[in-house]
Amino acid sequence: MSEVREVPLRILVVEDEVLIALELECLLEDLGHVSVGVAGCSADAIALGRTALPDVALVDIHLIDGPTGVEVARQLSRDPRVTVVFMTANAKRIPPDFAGALGVIAKPYSERAVAGALDYVAQRRAGHPPSADTLDGFHLAPAAGGGEWNGGAA
Amino acid sequence: MTGFPKGASLPSGVTVEVFAAAFEASPTPMVVTDPRRGDNPVVWANGAFLGLTGYDREEIYGHNCRMLQGPLTDAAVLQTMRSALATGRPFEGELLNYRKDGTSFWNGMTINPVCDEAGKVLFFFSAQADMTDKHRLELAMRDANDALEREVSERTADLRSALEQKTALLHEVDHRVKNNLQVISSLMLLKARRTPEGDARNALQAMADRIGALSTAHRMLYSEGDVTRFDFREFTADLIADLAAGLDGDRTRIETEIEALALSAAMAAPLALLIHELTTNALHHAFPEARRGRVAIEAHRYEAGMRLVIQDDGIGMASVPPNPAGFGRTLVEMVVRQLRGTLEWADAGPGTRIVITIPLVGTDAL
Repeated sequence: MSEVREVPLRILVVEDEVLIALELECLLEDLGHVSVGVAGCSADAIALGRTALPDVALVDIHLIDGPTGVEVARQLSRDPRVTVVFMTANAKRIPPDFAGALGVIAKPYSERAVAGALDYVAQRRAGHPPSADTLDGFHLAPAAGGGEWNGGAA
Repeated sequence: MTGFPKGASLPSGVTVEVFAAAFEASPTPMVVTDPRRGDNPVVWANGAFLGLTGYDREEIYGHNCRMLQGPLTDAAVLQTMRSALATGRPFEGELLNYRKDGTSFWNGMTINPVCDEAGKVLFFFSAQADMTDKHRLELAMRDANDALEREVSERTADLRSALEQKTALLHEVDHRVKNNLQVISSLMLLKARRTPEGDARNALQAMADRIGALSTAHRMLYSEGDVTRFDFREFTADLIADLAAGLDGDRTRIETEIEALALSAAMAAPLALLIHELTTNALHHAFPEARRGRVAIEAHRYEAGMRLVIQDDGIGMASVPPNPAGFGRTLVEMVVRQLRGTLEWADAGPGTRIVITIPLVGTDAL
């Protein structure tokens, strides 16, 4: 599970639940990645996205200031260097175009789902996207080859 | 005047006066016009016609019937009537006419040409009926119908909005449950990370894993259109994938053979705990000291329910030191009881075979 990558991903955690964010940071560290910060509201998330130079942003839909994660994803994904992945129990709120995000990890997630999704992201960023067939608990956006989005139905 | 067609002649004793008297006395309004005279004037009308229109005989004789028309008379119907009369054809229709006092009434009429033997139109004979009540009734029925439809559409809108609210509420609750499961899981794992290696840490980790199994159950629920059932095969595959992720695939592996069953949502959590507990137990205890092996999980339908078999080819029960604090086994027994099932542990030589039967009644499975 925790194989150390040659180049760890720099990850921004956008999550309003402090406990989830804290545990997620520990998990990311276990998986060999680096957390560049946690944002609980959309303004912090967008600001951190600009200053912390993350490779990946894990974005919850529901933040302190409401269901603003969609807008956060839209803003962050404008920078082609940032890969946005939703991480939410509210998958039905994701718009059909995924607001520029690569995919969604459904909450409650397992460590395996997070690890699998980040592996996929790392390989895709390295220019050789692996098969998405084995992805579990991680659904790709239609634009990334994930098929039509039906709001989280399996 | 030429003669009338054959068959129109009167039997003996019945004189024209008889007809004149009969028509005069008829309650049906009647009128005769003469198209051979300029502007097709009224040449005869009976008492009922005068009663209906409110005119005296002298006021109407010699005048065209258009004196009965008014501002709301339908021009299209009039046009149809005129072209029928101009070509000597009969006409049947309803017109809004006006009495002498200006009040209106619906006049349902038939107009027939009266021809001579050669087919030349001599007169038009028209019988009428006051259709005002019928129109009023139609109007009332249309109003009642409109009101009913309005009421139905209001009711439908109410129901739809109630359904939307219910759906929104379900999504909200579903979202909160999922989020809370994530928080609980995070809480456990955070505490585990801060606990020194040993029993306490293992217990916390095991609890977090159990919550993970419950989370998987919950993730599978409500994700399909039918909120009352879940796909047991897909559910087990998800659950096992989480367990298998931590395994050294060359040494131990998990094999599944699960029949496709749509089970009641109420069974998801207990089944998740059960499968998680037994599989984890087998993985932890059956293969000590780098022993190789496999855990097989099978589920099949039988007449009265479902048979779940979890079998390993490890060291067997007898070789595992009894654990008096064994929470896992108690948990399994409790869950099986909750599912009204039976549980059997047997030595499979090699390994251990656990057979659980779960009765499925009524709507438990489809």
